[in-house]
Parts: sequence; C-alpha cells; structure tokens
Amino acid sequence: MQGFISRGGFWVGVLTAVALALPLLVSSAFAIDIFIRILLFAFIGVAWNLMGGYAKQLSLGHAAYFGLGAYTSTILLIRYGVSPWIGMLAGGVVAMLASLPIGALCFRLRGPYFAIATIATAQVLMLLFLKFRDFAWGAEGTTMPNLGDAPLMMQFEGKAPYYYVVLALLAIGLAITYRIERSWMGYYLVAVGEDEDAAEAIGVDALRIKRNIYLISAFLTALAGTFYVQYIYFIDPNTAFSFNVSVEAALVSIVGGIGTLWGPLVGTVLLEATSALLQSWLGGGHGGVQLTVYSLILIGVILCRPSGLIGILTDAYDHVVHAGAARAKEVPLDG
Amino acid sequence: MLTTIAQAVVNGLLIGGIYALVSIGVTLIFGVVKIVNFAQGEFVMIGMYISFFLAANFGIDPLLSLVISMPVLFVIGVLLQHFLLRRVLALGDMPQIFLTFAMSLLLVNVALLLFTANYRTVQTPYSETAIHFGTLFVPMAKLIAFAVAMVLSGLLWVFLHATDLGKAMRAAAQNRDVAMLMGINPDRVFCVAVGVALALAGAAGSLLMPFYPAYPLVGQVFVLMAFVAVVLGTLGNVTGALIASLMMGVAESLGIQFVGADSGLIVVFAMLLLTLALRPNGLFGGWSR
Repeated sequence: MQGFISRGGFWVGVLTAVALALPLLVSSAFAIDIFIRILLFAFIGVAWNLMGGYAKQLSLGHAAYFGLGAYTSTILLIRYGVSPWIGMLAGGVVAMLASLPIGALCFRLRGPYFAIATIATAQVLMLLFLKFRDFAWGAEGTTMPNLGDAPLMMQFEGKAPYYYVVLALLAIGLAITYRIERSWMGYYLVAVGEDEDAAEAIGVDALRIKRNIYLISAFLTALAGTFYVQYIYFIDPNTAFSFNVSVEAALVSIVGGIGTLWGPLVGTVLLEATSALLQSWLGGGHGGVQLTVYSLILIGVILCRPSGLIGILTDAYDHVVHAGAARAKEVPLDG
Repeated sequence: MLTTIAQAVVNGLLIGGIYALVSIGVTLIFGVVKIVNFAQGEFVMIGMYISFFLAANFGIDPLLSLVISMPVLFVIGVLLQHFLLRRVLALGDMPQIFLTFAMSLLLVNVALLLFTANYRTVQTPYSETAIHFGTLFVPMAKLIAFAVAMVLSGLLWVFLHATDLGKAMRAAAQNRDVAMLMGINPDRVFCVAVGVALALAGAAGSLLMPFYPAYPLVGQVFVLMAFVAVVLGTLGNVTGALIASLMMGVAESLGIQFVGADSGLIVVFAMLLLTLALRPNGLFGGWSR
C-alpha cells in the first residue's frame, strides 16, 4: 500500500501521460464514451470515498448532490443564460448548503440507519423535483439548448474535450484526497471511521469532522452532476437523482478498495470495462447481462477480498519488485 | 369528506398488511443476524413469479401457491444464510450491506434475463370483486391478502413466544454470546430466522399476485416502504415493524388522496426523516419481548 504510493510518483506520471494521450490514440467515439464514463464514475467514487471510505459513513444518497449540481447549473443556464462553468461551482455551493441540514439529520444515526436515511433524502429530493413542474420541468425533464461548439458554455464538438474536462475533475478529486489523506483531517477521519466513540474520547470532534468532509464530498459530487447533464444534453429527476448514481459511487469504491486513494479508480476501470466489453460482445437486447456480471464481481470481491481489489494490485507489485530485488542480490527469500 | 378519509385509511391498512410481511422479514433478520437485508424486496418478486408460473402453467390459485412459495423461499433463506451471510457476519456494516445489495442487483437482473421486463398478471375470480360496507369499498383480493398477512404475523408471534426455537431466536437477538453459553446453536437459529423472513417475503409475493403485476423491479416498491417501516418501528422490533407498516400504508394512502397521486412516497419519507430527527431509534424501543 505505502509502496504503491511512495514509489507512486513515477507511475502517476505514466498514468497521466497515458490518460492525456488516450483520445489522440483512440478515435472511436464509442471507446471515448466509455473512457468518459469510467472517469466520471471514478470521480464520483472519489467524492463518495472521502465520506464512505475514510470516515466510513455509508451514504447511499449521493445522488442528492449529483442531482442538485445538475439542476442548479441547468436552471442557471436555461433560465438565466449563465455559463455551466459558473453553474457548476454554484451547484457545488448549493450541494454544500444542502449537505448541512442533511448531515445534521443523518449524522446522529449510525450504520444501517444512516444508510437508509441518506437513501430517503435523495428520494425526497427526486420526488420534489418531479413536482416542480413550472420551475424545473417536472417529470418530462428538458434538453439542453444546443449552442454548437461553445467551450465557454461547456459545449464542445466531438467527445475528446469532454474527456479532458472529466479527466481534470478526476485529477482534482484525487489531489484533494491525497492532501486530505496526509493532513490531520485525514487522520481524524480514519479515527472516526474506525471507532467513533474512541475518537471522541481522545478529543476528536467527530460531528465537525464528518460535517466538513461531507461538505467537500457533496461539492465534488455536484460538479459531476453538472458535467453529466452537460454531456448527455438532457436532464430529468430520474436521471439526476438516480439511485444508481448513489449505488455506483459506493460500489466502485468497495470493489476497488474503500479508504484508499486509487480504490475508486481501480474499481471503476474494472466494472465499467467489464460491462463495456460485455456490451460489445453481446450487443444490445440482452438486458440484464451486464448488471448480472457486475453483481457477481461485487459478491466475489466482498466474500474473497472485502478490503477491495487494490490490495491485489499492490501485493502483486510488491511481489514483483521484491522478487526482482531479491534475485538481483541473490539472497534467498527465506534467508 | 369523512368517507374519503375513511376509504383512504382502509386502502392504506390493506396494503399496509403486505408492507408488514416484508418489513417483519427485514426486522427479523436484523434483530437476529444483525444484517440489513437490502434484497428482501427481490424475494417478494421471486414469490410473485412462483405464484405467477404456477397459475399460468397449472392453473393453481395464487393463494393456494402460498404453500409452495413459502417453503421454497424458506429453503432459499436457509441456503442464503449458510453460504453467504454467515461469511460476512464478522465484517461490519459495509460489506454486509453491500453483499445483500449485490444480491438484490443480481436477482433483479437474472429475473430480467429469464422473464424479461414484461408485466405479468394473474386473473382470479376474486380479482375484480369487492365488498361494500355502507359507502366503503373493499376489494376482495386485498382484503384476503390483508387477512392472511395478519394471520401469518400472528403465527410468527406465537412461534417467537411459544416454541423453543422461537425463544432461542429471541434470546440470540437479545444477546448472542449469552445465548451461545446457554447452549443455543447460533448457526441453526440464524438459518431459521433468515428462512422465516424469506418465507414471509414469499407469502407477500403470492398474496400480491391477484391484484399486483409481477416484474423484475417490483421488489423495490416494497423494500423502500419496508425500510421506512422498519426504521420507524425500530430495527429489530417485530411488533414495531407491524404497527409501523400499517401506519405507513395509511400515510401513503392519505398522501395520495390529499397531496397528489405522485406524493404518497413524499409523505412517507417525510415521516421517516421527521422520526429520525425526533426519535433516532424509532418509535418503539428495542426488541419486542
């Protein structure tokens, strides 16, 4: 784990270079669409992971912030002509404001109660937006105005620019996680996640820590919401507040490894790549295959490696490096 | 006006009986095994499909197929506990919730593969009939479902209070370690608890079939209501879940009547959040003794 990160500088460089070059090497719009989805869900996973992974607050309601981000920027764009770049930040602020009362309510609850309460908050928001017919288009939703190639309005020709936008979002998310992981806040978070009562006993203000990380997590999730509706040119309550968003955010982190910097990315790559491959092999019309495989992977990971797949990668890396080092020195491994 | 309210209350109580079967199952598993089963709704779905296929292929009335769906789901429950849930008991909330969640996802999608997303309905002689009490209108199929649900809940109560196995289950729920010291085999008790919970979900499925369509995602309707009821009734409290389910049914029905057809759930969720804000441990305290 440590090894993976401290020796990480080089690998992060390689990864960044590959990520930056990818749209130049691959011209298929289908493939780039898959890359965009992978990066987007990895980003949502990273945002979720701050809450769910480090502080172990199992939120199944992050769709609330995804949806608020999506609706804030869309309403600003269509009603007031505000650029989604500004709308995105406004959405983030709205999500942060919403996270305060939601947090105040839910943080008094633990474990399964917390999870169920967060599901309820996202559902309530979805139901409310279904009712706001005049203000937010109700159940029918609305399409984005097509402005052609308008980078200032977050609309681009072709898919590659969207790819770089979401890549930048993911990079920001990972950088924030990296900084938090190495700060006092990170240690407090892990302490609260391990044992909230013990953390409080040694003077950690658990409620404040959870509230602060929830603010950050909500803000980032809202950015993803804005990006997504700008990318698909459509918004309705079922898309914006989809329970699947909440679930995917948590799933990719669990499969990859919760409470780790790279876990959500590893999990998303595995799950999305598998589902994309299945989709291209089987074609459409086999509704259910993708998610069946998806859930089998999840069950396998939970039963065999509850700490997530990132452990397998780091173990393999350490194994290769140590085996190599050992051979070089010709020291028997058991000596 | 009064009639409208009374009618809404009756409608709510009738569907609340079905919610009760689902939520009693959730709360039973949580009380005994300490796992929140996010897949409970999918077992309702399985119960519905069992009844549907028995009715479609052999002409068996859904109410009769109860005697098949319940044992089948009991066995599934025992296997589920023995092969899957048992392995995550020591792992904490997150793997447990996600294991049952993954099962829910798996069952929905396997159903989608096998049965397609089409709505399946069964017509019975009593599907369209209704009884009139003065101005009140009571659909026969829902009345039967409610009555059977209440009988099953009553039988469960008797089982938990009057049989050794039931008492062992309550003992294991109160304090697992002490129960083990008293010679209770927790594995066996856990298997039976999950089996019984799933049998209740199967019963709910069969009872729904005469008036509700079966489709792969049908369980989600019921599991959300069950969660709310279970939290309101205090996780692990069987009687609490029963009372809360009936309340939920009525609240939803009044919401539909007076706020709008799409607002039943808003009322229900608002109740949940309000309750959590005021009484974070639900309305009814701990495990029912």
